[in-house]
Amino acid sequence: MSTQRDDLPASDKELWRRLDVDGAVEVRPVDDMEFAAWIEGRLGEAEAARLEASVAADPEMRRAALDIADILGKPLPAAPERMAIRARALVGFEAKRKVARKGFGDWLLNWMAPSTLRPAAVTMAAIAIAAGGFTMGGGLGASFAQQDYEASGRQRVVSTSEASTDISEFFASDGI
Amino acid sequence: MQVADLNQIDLQALARGDKRSWDAFVGAAAPLINAMVRRALAPYGLGDEDVMDAAQDVFVRLCAQDFRLLKTYDPARAGLSTWLAVVARSAAIDHARRRRRPTQPIDEVPEAVLGVEDRHVEKLKIPQGLLTERQTLILKYLYDEEREVADIAQLLKVDPQTVRSTQHRALVRLRAYFREGTG
Repeated sequence: MSTQRDDLPASDKELWRRLDVDGAVEVRPVDDMEFAAWIEGRLGEAEAARLEASVAADPEMRRAALDIADILGKPLPAAPERMAIRARALVGFEAKRKVARKGFGDWLLNWMAPSTLRPAAVTMAAIAIAAGGFTMGGGLGASFAQQDYEASGRQRVVSTSEASTDISEFFASDGI
Repeated sequence: MQVADLNQIDLQALARGDKRSWDAFVGAAAPLINAMVRRALAPYGLGDEDVMDAAQDVFVRLCAQDFRLLKTYDPARAGLSTWLAVVARSAAIDHARRRRRPTQPIDEVPEAVLGVEDRHVEKLKIPQGLLTERQTLILKYLYDEEREVADIAQLLKVDPQTVRSTQHRALVRLRAYFREGTG
């Protein structure tokens, strides 16, 4: 087979545009880190050649490479202040929340979080609070004492009314 | 220069979510991200608000999911500014594609885009390996995109004369292949 052509374009540019150069090229995905390394010229020869084949076959990557090289080679104007303010706000709130969570309670919760201990701990805490409250209230002894007190109170009220009746009878008997 | 400031950022503290490191990082990275996003969005005709939103997208990407993207950065492989420029451009292009109007008035479309090649031209096949990857890349930049030799030289970190001689060698090889034949 011969590839000899008599109809080759005169200009180099026309010749190039008549060629099917991408037909046999296998384009592989390029990650950001690898692309950055290539732009900085840090890749080895074989690695760079593989990446250059991918860049050559993808117009978007070709534009990206030129844009990035151009931007990095120039002094940059300051960014709008509003851009920086918005970006700073992305992390501030989260950071404050993390700082606020560093108390004992948080430590305890973090310690219990991965296990099934949390329901048990909550139950124990509820029992402890109930028992504490009951003890502070005097327990069963105080309850009985209260009952005795109320009973004796009722008795005293009765005796007082009885005394009052006696005095009334005394005055009545004297004709007052 | 902001790149110098970027190199001073404590990346480990930053990846831990340290507020001071993040604020310093934003201050150092904002000019680069702003410039990169503006450049990437320019062909799409988007305005300042889109630049702001696309730049915010870049920062969100960097700190999202406990700084997952930022943690993929490897200082041994590339400078932080170069990697950030790549990330920023990629985020800006994604933003532009999301914002692109589903339809565009025909009056606003450049004539060159509307032009349809009605003449079928048979493409000439060349064997794999006839040109090196670099030769192919340089010829694509020169002929498909009509870029300046100086821009290509800056990208490839070579002398402009090296670009020209690579171009020349590639064309000599191509013409020799077609003129001399193989069989």
